Amino acid sequence: MRRWFCSLLAGLALAGGAALAQPVEVLDDRGQALRLERPPQRIVSLLPSLTESVAALGAGARLVGVDRYSNWPPEVAALPRLGGLDDAQIEAIVRLKPDVVLASSSARALDRLEALGLPVLRLKSDSHADVRRSLRLLARLLGTPAEGERVWARIEAQLADAQARVPVALRGRLVYFELGGGPYAAGASSFIGETLARLGLVNAVPAELGPFPKLNPEFVVRARPELVMGAQREQAALRARPGWQAVPALREGRLCGFDEAGYELLIRPGPRLGEGAALIADCLQRLGAGGAR
Amino acid sequence: MTPVLATEALRVRLGGHDALRGITLGLGPGWTALVGPNGAGKSTLLRALAGLQRPDGGCVRLHGRDLAQVPAAERAREIAWLAQRGDVTGELSVRETVALGRIARLGLLGTPGAADEAAVAQAMALTECRDWGARRLHELSGGERQRVLLARVLATEAPLLLLDEPTTHLDAPHQRALARLFRRLAHEAGTPRSVLTVLHDLPIALRADRLLVLDAGTLQADGPPSDPGVQAALARVFGHAIHIDTDAAGRPRVALALDDD
Amino acid sequence: MSRALALAGAAPDGADTRRRHRLALGLVLALLLGGLAGLATGSDGLSLRALWADLQGPDAALLIGHIRAPRTLGAALVGALLGLAGALAQGLFRNPLADPYLLGSAAGAGLGVVLVLAAASAGGVVLGLAGAAWIERLGLVGAAFVGALAGVGLTLSLARGAAHTLRLLLAGVVVGVMAGAVSDLITVAVPEALRGKQAFLLGSTSFLGWPALGLLATGLVALLALVGRFARALDALTLGEDSAASLGLDLPRLRLLLVLMLSAATALAVSQAGLVAFVGLVAPHLVRRAAPGPHGWLVAASAAMGAALLVLADVLSRALVAPQELPVGVVTAVLGGAYLVWLLKQRGAR
Repeated sequence: MRRWFCSLLAGLALAGGAALAQPVEVLDDRGQALRLERPPQRIVSLLPSLTESVAALGAGARLVGVDRYSNWPPEVAALPRLGGLDDAQIEAIVRLKPDVVLASSSARALDRLEALGLPVLRLKSDSHADVRRSLRLLARLLGTPAEGERVWARIEAQLADAQARVPVALRGRLVYFELGGGPYAAGASSFIGETLARLGLVNAVPAELGPFPKLNPEFVVRARPELVMGAQREQAALRARPGWQAVPALREGRLCGFDEAGYELLIRPGPRLGEGAALIADCLQRLGAGGAR
Repeated sequence: MTPVLATEALRVRLGGHDALRGITLGLGPGWTALVGPNGAGKSTLLRALAGLQRPDGGCVRLHGRDLAQVPAAERAREIAWLAQRGDVTGELSVRETVALGRIARLGLLGTPGAADEAAVAQAMALTECRDWGARRLHELSGGERQRVLLARVLATEAPLLLLDEPTTHLDAPHQRALARLFRRLAHEAGTPRSVLTVLHDLPIALRADRLLVLDAGTLQADGPPSDPGVQAALARVFGHAIHIDTDAAGRPRVALALDDD
Repeated sequence: MSRALALAGAAPDGADTRRRHRLALGLVLALLLGGLAGLATGSDGLSLRALWADLQGPDAALLIGHIRAPRTLGAALVGALLGLAGALAQGLFRNPLADPYLLGSAAGAGLGVVLVLAAASAGGVVLGLAGAAWIERLGLVGAAFVGALAGVGLTLSLARGAAHTLRLLLAGVVVGVMAGAVSDLITVAVPEALRGKQAFLLGSTSFLGWPALGLLATGLVALLALVGRFARALDALTLGEDSAASLGLDLPRLRLLLVLMLSAATALAVSQAGLVAFVGLVAPHLVRRAAPGPHGWLVAASAAMGAALLVLADVLSRALVAPQELPVGVVTAVLGGAYLVWLLKQRGAR
């Protein structure tokens, strides 16, 4: 019922000319309705992917404060830094007088901000579907409902382009993507796993094991992935692991090591996921062309 | 007779005040009892004599040499010390504990031989704990543990025994047995030892060959118990808490003055 | 074994000897079974049938020889080093709750690891490219080892040598707190280091390979031999520090040597496997309950017990959630914590 009402409202706003000061109402991921008198003009974002989403939707100028990890687009570097989700600086946020605060899951900081009267919108950002949904929701919130689908269409185009660029020889190959500091594997049900699946690669880590399992290294050796991807600085140590010289990807040099910026881009589930897919496609093209590195 | 262990004007400061002042004495073969009120400095004197406490004035001499210059290994062979309060963790068995005394002879690396086992067995026999060899120290009562620790000291076969309150937790029969043991050790033919015991038990102390009376860090008397000067010092130091007189045989006798108010 | 007992300077009594023989036998059995289980636990969990199949398969040398065997053996060696260090710590500090991490070795190793992780992440911005490259070559293993020794060195210098046990303990606490604070500061500034730091703190036997084993084995053998020489000193310490001194022992020098041995064992173990919890604390406890004795026996048996404990923990960490893996330190913490709770209940019941 609420959904229908929202859609009707969005439709009316569209009909009336999007940028008019119409009241907006959205349902966040908690199922709670957030109602604002007019689209927010001052936005605080405490999650890098949401910062990027706002910017991608063309409302980057409305950002007045971001968290310490947001680093795209470059303009946000000039904005006040407000800490992370766990240690958000309450006073600084309140002083900025935002119309809405964007964040992800629960944190004490958010409850505090709500208690102080600030509207908080909680949006999950863990999968491709989440990104699409957040884009649509944010677009509606910002009073430009059509932008959401437009941005998503752009992302889809990037994904399709990247998929097309994957060399034929590498399509359908088994891939293993590793996240540092554990090490943790990016499983088929994770965000990166979805990207890899879109590119036509098969994940060595099945979905049943969860998004980021901490695996017995023997599992990887037995799985015999033909492609291994991860952060560049971790890749040098892979060969030293007991038994890993036998992994086909290492034997044939089919490694994709991404630099800091690229790696961060890949693991951040935001509107730049198309660029991430492009990065992977670049690497695959290089491997397909040159063979062993 | 040159004393084996001697002090010259020994002075020890603890916690900002003089625990011992101007102590000059010499120890030779025989059983000497050190008595005095609580806090007189008896334990401190024993520790200084054992080389565990550095003097702040004067010195301690072992066979004429400055004790501080004597290497620790040699000192351990000559002097054995029994602590007043057993700071023992108690995990070892009785036999293992007593055998630790042999470190004074073997050092850390020497392999124990028949002589060492004999010394351990002898020490345990003398303190009547031979049957407890396998029991863990922490299973024993306070008095039993005390006897084991004394056996540990005896096992060192050191000619100089400095024993701080060796009879405190013991029952009457064992106190008597130890008193006889001290006398025997002190006068053993062939290997007479110097035994210095700190005692609170005055009746036992009066059985010793020599009495040292310590009060407030200074030596009040030094002589055989039959010496009237020594007895006067005892009366002075312990005040009205004790009665001293002589028994029919002329030996000094002391008792707690419990009837007076 | 009888030499160890002879070193204790005691003719062992029948009951004691029997208990020690029984424990020794039990530990040998546990290690053999544990070793077998370690070889039989793969990414599919514990299965002897699968082991038999794998042995006959084409990958036998790779899976069993290169991954499972060194890992299991490595867990045994690391556990042995921790057990040895724990027995040394408890003897040195005369406290059954002492563990090898008391003197700042754990905190120092953790800080070393965090520095390397942060340097790698920050990409040389903070330290300059040359500095970062050198640190990366040192690697996490080297950084943990150096950090552990540096932590103990700092403790020794704060305590001004090993003259006083209490001062040593306090200095160890101070170093632990300081190093922890610096490490936390660094992870706030460079949050990418946080994951790696947690992995180190939780302990892991996942990547023990043959090269590491050579180092661990050499260290273990050398330390066992050294401790054999000093075992009697630890026994003498049970009498109390003054009594031990009266036996002719140079306590400050002995304490320093024992601290160095303790630190070497801990540094070796921690650099390879991270901060594995509780093994150093619990191994000597279990030995003392089953078959107490002088330190010549206690240290060797604690090493064997530690080895058995960590091999068991490693098998569990692989078998419980296969193909995923629990950090081995979590398993030892749960097991160790459960043991301590049981101990408390026993004491309370008495």
